[in-house]
Amino acid sequence: MEHLELFLKSIFIDNMVFSVFLGMCSYLAVSKKVSTAVGLGAAVIFVLLVTVPLNWLLDQYILQPGALSWLGEEYASYDLSFLSFIMFIATIATMVQLVEIIVEKFAPALYNSLGIFLPLIAVNCAILGGSLFMQSREIPTLSLATVYGLGSGIGWFLAILAIAAIREKIRYSNVPPALRGLGITFIITGLMAIGFMSFGGMLTGGDEEKKDKNETANIELEKGNENDVADNTIKVIE
Amino acid sequence: MGLLSKKDVALIKDPLADNNPITIQVLGICSALAITAELEAAIVMSVSVLFVLGIGNVVISLMRNIIPSKIRIIVQLIVVAALVIIVDQVLKAFAYELSKTLSVFVGLIITNCIIMGRFEAFALGNGPWKSFLDGIGNALGYGAILIIVAFFRELLGAGTLLGYKVLGDPIEKTGLYAIGYENNGFMIMPPMALIVVGIIIWVQRTRNKALIED
Amino acid sequence: MSNKTDSNVYTILFAIAMVIVVGGLLAFTASALRPRIDNNERLEKQQNILYAMGVNDNDESSAVFVSTNEAPELFKKYITKQLVIQDGKVSEDNEAYLIDVKKEQANAKAGKARRLPLFVGEKDGKTFYIAPIRGKGLWDAIWGYIAMDKSMVVQGAYFDHKGETAGLGANIKQRFFMDDFIGENLMSNGTFKGIRVAKGNNDPKNTDKNDNEVDAIAGATITGDGVSAMLKSELSQYVSYFKTLK
Repeated sequence: MEHLELFLKSIFIDNMVFSVFLGMCSYLAVSKKVSTAVGLGAAVIFVLLVTVPLNWLLDQYILQPGALSWLGEEYASYDLSFLSFIMFIATIATMVQLVEIIVEKFAPALYNSLGIFLPLIAVNCAILGGSLFMQSREIPTLSLATVYGLGSGIGWFLAILAIAAIREKIRYSNVPPALRGLGITFIITGLMAIGFMSFGGMLTGGDEEKKDKNETANIELEKGNENDVADNTIKVIE
Repeated sequence: MGLLSKKDVALIKDPLADNNPITIQVLGICSALAITAELEAAIVMSVSVLFVLGIGNVVISLMRNIIPSKIRIIVQLIVVAALVIIVDQVLKAFAYELSKTLSVFVGLIITNCIIMGRFEAFALGNGPWKSFLDGIGNALGYGAILIIVAFFRELLGAGTLLGYKVLGDPIEKTGLYAIGYENNGFMIMPPMALIVVGIIIWVQRTRNKALIED
Repeated sequence: MSNKTDSNVYTILFAIAMVIVVGGLLAFTASALRPRIDNNERLEKQQNILYAMGVNDNDESSAVFVSTNEAPELFKKYITKQLVIQDGKVSEDNEAYLIDVKKEQANAKAGKARRLPLFVGEKDGKTFYIAPIRGKGLWDAIWGYIAMDKSMVVQGAYFDHKGETAGLGANIKQRFFMDDFIGENLMSNGTFKGIRVAKGNNDPKNTDKNDNEVDAIAGATITGDGVSAMLKSELSQYVSYFKTLK
């Protein structure tokens, strides 16, 4: 359940493009045609799926304060978190380069269709953003990190697919000349982002209420034992 | 301008308008959206990018003949990241107040594609002095757009500029608010940044027809 | 590109040299500057705690800390006791303000006992109880210090964040937001309820201090929810201590 929730959340509510605005550069530059957009989107899904869990392992066992304790007690006090940026970037760039070599070797046809997009991914901030969010939101387990990577990737894929489809259609519309191309793409993306804002309440709203009820119930249980104390507190307030 | 040849001047001037990194080259969009709700943040970010891009371009340009082409992306990213992290640590030790304002931007600077973009497009193929000028010019062009967007978003969205209430107080109903003006809270939402940039592109391309896409 | 820089041997050697140089440089700066950075962070914590209990250099509209030179002295003067609460037992510890709340939260999650620091301050005959809190905003960590009186009515609040959006979530550290909390009651009819950062409540000027709500910042829903959540989850752990106070 937790996995499904995080999955949906990372696709719709925390959509990489529409709600946190990451990976915009390649999103705008490579969305002229649906076919190329699909290629890049698929590559982003794959790289996020691989790098987020990898960086999770790095974070848990090397970077976090105290993460080195598996080496022995004397290493427990080390804090290497200042290295996270560099380590994450190195993982991503290495993975991208590795994926490029493997795809070229074993699936030349796919390589030809994806080829030029793979190096672009290393500079796509959605990828680094995925790893940094994973770290700052303290995602607890490896499987959740994998789900998060996959969900974010699919969210980005959906976004670039949608804008590419719109751009293909809009070519037949009568857009003011100065707005053609980049200008209208910006404005459409803005409107789509406003649309995506409405996903905001999809999971959190219900969640809050449920949590509220549970917590009130707990506190009331406590209160049962300490009724007199509570009464006194009221008097103090009044 | 004795120091700068005509070409050098062009390196600085072009990115300000006709080859603007944001509106023409489509670089550095993420940060243009993330930090333009407030003028002050936009200015801080512009200055940081000016600094990092200027120095980074020189470093990459000096290294351009020894970087192996197979791993150049990793090398470039590591150079920026190391530069930014070192500056951040030094500021934390010697100018703690300033570092608190800037620390928010550290991640945004490293992932800013304008920096990678200029490394790849210019610094790898040109000498240090030219690369420095290119870095400065692009950072200025980037900053100009950021500041324009932030100006309108802060003014229309919050009724303030750099935190000063230039339109009067919305709660006490003074200034413009006395005659029924209301802040447009929507302007400070992130999607509006996209639309404002779209409008800037529209204005720019109306004035310079050569930039219009097919 | 010349052939020389394309060979595998060169590439590998270059990569190794790069890792050594960059790694060495980073490790050197980090360790050389560590004492200074630690000292700055310690002073900041003192400033934050003092700010929450109203010892600050605020001008009309902006939040200003006491200067770093004065902070240690003022901290000694105003903070009379530093307490650590663990498993319901209360002990004194003069370094309690250095407890890393993030680590303690991780300990609690791992099933270990959590140490809860609480600072007792005296100013103008009034007693303040100041608790550190920590939670998550939209992008990254948010934290703060809440000063309360003994019946858990907020006397002062300080919030800070690592990377909330400028102009939106980042405004939690602005006076207009922090000052709204002053006078708000964390309890409701004798039970702990927290304070909710509420959108569209009927009290934008925040005159009703017993509604357990303050007005939210427009456009910063998730950061606001994060503030509500951390107030609730962190401060509720102190309730049993406050009940022993009256």
